[in-house]
Amino acid sequence: MFDPRTLRYAATYAALVAATAAALLIGLFFGGSALSPADVLWALAHPHAANDASAIVWTLRLPRVAIGAFVGVALAISGMLLQGLLRNPLVDPFLTGVSAGAGAAIALSIAAGIAAPFVPGLGFAAGLATAFLVAALARRGTGIDAERLILAGVSLTALFSSIVALVLLRLGRTAVGQILAWLTGSLAARGWSDLAYAAPYGIAGLVLALLAAPSLNALRLGPGVARAVGVDVARTQWLVLGGATLLAASAVTLAGVVGFVGLIVPHLARRIVGTDARGTLAASALIGAALVPLADALARSLAPPTEIPLGVLLAFIGVPTFLYLYLRPTNATRLWGT
Amino acid sequence: MGHVKLEGVRLIAGERTLLDAVSFEALPGELIAIVGPNGAGKTTLLRALAGFFAPAAGDIWLDGIAVRALTARQRARAVTLIGSDVEEPHGTSVREVVATGRFSYRPWWDWSETPEDFAAAGLALARVGMEEFAERPFETLSSGERQRVWLALALAQDARLVLLDEPTSHLDPRHALDMLCLMRGIASSPVSSFVVLHDLNEAAAVADRIAVLGEGRLLRFAPPDDALDPQILERAFGIAFDRVTAGGAIRVIPRGYRPAVPPLARGT
Repeated sequence: MFDPRTLRYAATYAALVAATAAALLIGLFFGGSALSPADVLWALAHPHAANDASAIVWTLRLPRVAIGAFVGVALAISGMLLQGLLRNPLVDPFLTGVSAGAGAAIALSIAAGIAAPFVPGLGFAAGLATAFLVAALARRGTGIDAERLILAGVSLTALFSSIVALVLLRLGRTAVGQILAWLTGSLAARGWSDLAYAAPYGIAGLVLALLAAPSLNALRLGPGVARAVGVDVARTQWLVLGGATLLAASAVTLAGVVGFVGLIVPHLARRIVGTDARGTLAASALIGAALVPLADALARSLAPPTEIPLGVLLAFIGVPTFLYLYLRPTNATRLWGT
Repeated sequence: MGHVKLEGVRLIAGERTLLDAVSFEALPGELIAIVGPNGAGKTTLLRALAGFFAPAAGDIWLDGIAVRALTARQRARAVTLIGSDVEEPHGTSVREVVATGRFSYRPWWDWSETPEDFAAAGLALARVGMEEFAERPFETLSSGERQRVWLALALAQDARLVLLDEPTSHLDPRHALDMLCLMRGIASSPVSSFVVLHDLNEAAAVADRIAVLGEGRLLRFAPPDDALDPQILERAFGIAFDRVTAGGAIRVIPRGYRPAVPPLARGT
């Protein structure tokens, strides 16, 4: 009564969901204070218990894991959207200049001594503004030209990165540390309230992504076929660009520049579920939600009490994995394929 | 159904006028071949028929409705175009590729194909003789098989005007012939078809009428016997043609093959 294809899909996604749930749980087991997995599970089941375990789990670990998962989902979907739209496997969520614009604004506001609570908001606004500028430069007709988008994104990213470099050269040590922490990505010192600020933008981005997915799926066969079957290509471009930008900006606001997730996760997703945009979107979200909390748990526990910057750790793990998967001499698999 | 009418169509690419004053009518069920030299505007004319490209002047009517007035969704249910800009998906079954043709039959944000969509995809695959390939990954197909799958995608769309841009260009003679037979089978009322072909003899073999483009206009729109007039072809392509009849079919052959570079002297 069920055909084997449906069953195989169901099994694949069930395995992904289980793996993600396990990764989130593992994320909760790691932390500065010694809590046994049993303590963590007990605390999870008793949210209002008045003891240390409950307080640590509910105010420190759970928000951190939740933010990690949020950032992972946002970056993975953002990367998947842009790779799909531009049909270019080397694109990542920061292509539109979101992180560079936010980085320049954050560096400048730290240098100018603007109060800490306002800094992420300024970064968010600057990130969106940069992406908007890039999109405006890439406009052609009613839609967007892929090559112009890449050129505008790369150029503005270079410009804003130099502004950050200039600020770093001129500043004292403390401020440099603050800016670098932000540039290398971190989930430290973030709580429920930070998530509450960023979440609405992320969710708006997710809605745009869900709306764009069927059109993006048709776009896999080329813009000509997509148009022929009735896809409004310009609408798809704006949905994808808007969704990817909102997702990336909300992730950057929460965790700084966490590199590599948005590049590698869509590749892993396509390997596991194939290139259907709807499947890739779901699988990217699940893998992203698992990968970032896991990497953060490692970042915290490899060399305590110092934390390895999350972006650095992800690159250390991700780059060799990526090279192994795609560039083995014996591997004939194409980068853009399965 | 599938009635196409062009009135004084002018197509402009950038600053250059590709075609001007193109007027003709194609009847339901006709298979029309479009031929002409490179850059004559064949593909652009096809794109204009599909509603992808707006004429600078004139109008294109499909069953009495101006193509330019259709929304993307209405257009996709009426016209389909398979061009040379297709991109080959990996990790996707043939059935899923063909089911993409059903996009305009559900709201654009709707994630899931209906059983009817897959049934239509199956039927379309059967019409091109590819039903056994439904579950095969697309990347395992040969060029000829891929071309049939693209045609099946167009058929799954249930459009009454099917436009094909050089569907035989990368195929060997046998697969090209298969493709031509399929195209001939598809063009019957209520479905009309326009096909851009480079091979004049292929056009002569399958088309009800041939549109010869050249000198920036429609030089002739007539049945093969009349359209493949050596004088018209010489105006279109700038070279002389010989016309012969072989096996009951018209053949036109370019005259005066002369290598631009003399062959290398052998055995020096």
